[in-house]
Amino acid sequence: MEENTSKINANHRRYVLIVDDEEINRQMLGFIIGNDYDVMYASNGCEALDILHENSYRISLILLDILMPEMNGYELLEVLRNDMELRKIPVIVLTSEKSAEVDSLRMGAVDFIPKPYDMPDVILARVGRSIKLAEDSSLLSATEQDSMTGLYNKGFFYVYADMHGRLNPDMDMDAVAIDINRLHIVNDLYGRAYGDQVIRRLAGRIKRYAYEHGGYAGRSDGDLFYLYIPHTDDCDALLEELGKDLRLNDDDIQITLRMGIYQNADRSTGMEACFDRAENACKTVRNTYASSYSFYDSKMHEKELYDEQLLGEVDTALAEGQFKVYFQPKYNIRGGRPVLSSAEALVRWIHPALGFISPGAFIPLFEKNGLILKLDKYVWKKSAEQMRIWKEKYGVVIPVSVNISRMDIYEPGLEDEIRSIAAAEGIANDAFLLEITESAYTDNSDYIISVVNSLRSSGFRIEMDDFGSGYSSLSMLASLPVDVLKIDMAFVRNITTSEKDYRMIRLMIDVAGFMGMTTVAEGVETKEQLDLLGQAGCDVIQGYYFSKPVPPDEFEQFIEKELEESKNADS
Amino acid sequence: MLTVDALREYGADVDTGLARCLNNEAFYLRMVSMTVPDTKLDELEAAIAAKDLDRGFELAHAMKGMYSNLALTPILNPVNEMTELLRARTDTDYSKLLAEAKLQKEMLNRMAE
Repeated sequence: MEENTSKINANHRRYVLIVDDEEINRQMLGFIIGNDYDVMYASNGCEALDILHENSYRISLILLDILMPEMNGYELLEVLRNDMELRKIPVIVLTSEKSAEVDSLRMGAVDFIPKPYDMPDVILARVGRSIKLAEDSSLLSATEQDSMTGLYNKGFFYVYADMHGRLNPDMDMDAVAIDINRLHIVNDLYGRAYGDQVIRRLAGRIKRYAYEHGGYAGRSDGDLFYLYIPHTDDCDALLEELGKDLRLNDDDIQITLRMGIYQNADRSTGMEACFDRAENACKTVRNTYASSYSFYDSKMHEKELYDEQLLGEVDTALAEGQFKVYFQPKYNIRGGRPVLSSAEALVRWIHPALGFISPGAFIPLFEKNGLILKLDKYVWKKSAEQMRIWKEKYGVVIPVSVNISRMDIYEPGLEDEIRSIAAAEGIANDAFLLEITESAYTDNSDYIISVVNSLRSSGFRIEMDDFGSGYSSLSMLASLPVDVLKIDMAFVRNITTSEKDYRMIRLMIDVAGFMGMTTVAEGVETKEQLDLLGQAGCDVIQGYYFSKPVPPDEFEQFIEKELEESKNADS
Repeated sequence: MLTVDALREYGADVDTGLARCLNNEAFYLRMVSMTVPDTKLDELEAAIAAKDLDRGFELAHAMKGMYSNLALTPILNPVNEMTELLRARTDTDYSKLLAEAKLQKEMLNRMAE
C-alpha cells in the first residue's frame, strides 16, 4: 500500500502501459498521450504481464488492445482480475469492435477508446479521468486498510460486514477470530521483522480466503484477525488453509494459530458483539502448541450474561459494602517459634442474591475493563482502616499486604492516593506492603521500576508476587527494586514430591537472601511443607497450615494469641 | 518522396490522419513510412490460399487498425471489405480484393522510396 500511495502524488508524471500488437497503433497512441504521461509498451498480453509484475507499483493505467497474438486482451483482463495487486490498476480497452466494448467493461475495464484514434483530446481526457478515479478510490482504500497487511481496519471491517448482512439477510454467516500463538516468542527468537512477515503471510491467506468465499477480512490489532464468511462446517479445512506452515524457514519453530468461531452469527446484536464472541471463543483455546479452534456456545453466552450482571452491580456492591476484606496471617519462622508478622488482604464478594462469588470470577473481569482500580482502592482503604482499628485496640501495627494491579501502576496519582489513605488512618507507609505481580515487571519494566522506586522512597515496601510464574529470571532480580519475594504457590505445592521444585525454591531463597530480600512462601498447607521451607531458609510462611483468609474479627484471635505468646516468651 | 501532398493525391484522408497525430506532419509521415516493410498483406494472401480463415481474419483486422488510424483510404477500403468477409469466415474468392490491396500498397511503397 505504501507503493500504491506513492503513486498518488499530484506532481508525479504517471506511467501508462500501452498494449497493442500493432506498432504503428502503439506509437500513435503513445504520441497522443506522451506529452502528459511516461509511456511503456507491450505487444501482447504476455509481454504486458512481465512489465506489470516488474512495475505494478508505478503503472497508473493500462491501455489494452483486444485482438492480439499469444495472450489477447480478454485473457489479460482475466489474469488481472484475479491478481490482488494488478487488479488495482485501471484498464481502458482499445477497440474498433462495438461488441468488445460491453464485454470488456463486464470483465473489469473502466472505459474504452474506439479505434481509430479520432479526437486525441477526448482520449487524453478519458485517460486522465480514469487515473483520477482509480487514485481517489485507492486513497479511500488507504484509509480503510491496515497499512501493514492491506486488510480492512477494524472500523471499516465492521461497516462492510454489516452492509453484507443487510444485503443478504437470509445468508448464514460465521464470525471468525484468528490469532497467532505465542507470537512474542517468535519475535524474541527471530526478531520483530520476522514476526511482521508472519503476520503479513497470514493476512494474505485470510484475504484470499475471504475473497474466494465471498466474505470480508479485517485486522483488529496486533496478531488478531477477523473473518466474516458464509457458514462452513469444515473448520478443519479453514484452519488448515490459514495455518499451514507459516514459518519462513524449514528449521524455524512451528507457528500455530488459534481460532474462535461464532457459527451462524446472530447479527441482531451487532457486528462488534458477534466478533467479541468469536474472540472470546478464540481465547478459550488452551493448546498453544498446535493449531486448534473453539466454538462460541451457549455456555459462553451464559458466562457473558453473568459477567455483564457482575459488572453492572459493582457500584452498588461497593456502596453497600458487599465486598468484604479478609485477612490471611503470615508467620515469620526464622526464630524458635512462628511469629505473626503481617497479613495479606484478600477481597471477597458476598452478593445478596448470588451468595459467595469467587474472586476468580470477578477479579480477571475487573482487570479487563478497569473496574479493578475502584476495587483496589476500596481494599487499600479498608485495610488501612483495619490496621488503625487493631492499632487502637491492641497497641500494635499489623502490616498488611495489598494488591497493586497492573493498571494501578499506570495511574498518575497512585502514590498520592496510597499515601493519603495511610495518612488518613494514621498508619505509617512502611506498614503497607504493596504486592505487584511478577509478570507486570515484564510489561514495561523501565516505567514500572521508576514507579516502584518512587513508592519505596516514600517508605512503602514492595513485594513481588507470584515469583517464578512469569518470565523474569533470577538474574533480573538484581535490577528490580523489591523488598520481599513471594514464591509462586505452584512451587510450594510440589515441594514434597518434586526434588527439582525443592531445589528451585532453595535457589530462589538463596538468591533473594543475597539481595537482602525477605522471602515469603504462600499456599503452605502441611507441616511437611513448612519444615522443608524452613530448612531451605524461607523467612515467612502464609497458607492454610496457619489459617485460611478470615474476616477481621476472626483475625483478632491471631493477634491476641501472638500478644500472649510474646508476653510469655519475654517473661 | 513521401509528402502530405503526395498522400493527398494518392487519396488518403490526410487531414484526419494528421489530426490523429496532433497535426505533426513529420510524425504522421514517419508512421506512414512504417507501413512499407509490413508483410501482413502477403501473410494474408498465404492464409487465404491455405483456407486458414481464422488467421486471415486476425491479419486483416490488424491491417484495418493500422490503415484506418493513418486514414490511408485507398488501401483501407479493400482491407475493410476483406475484414468483414473474414469476420464471417466467408469462403469466397478474395483475389480481386487482394489484388486491389496489393496495388495500393505498392503505390504507397513507391511514394516512400
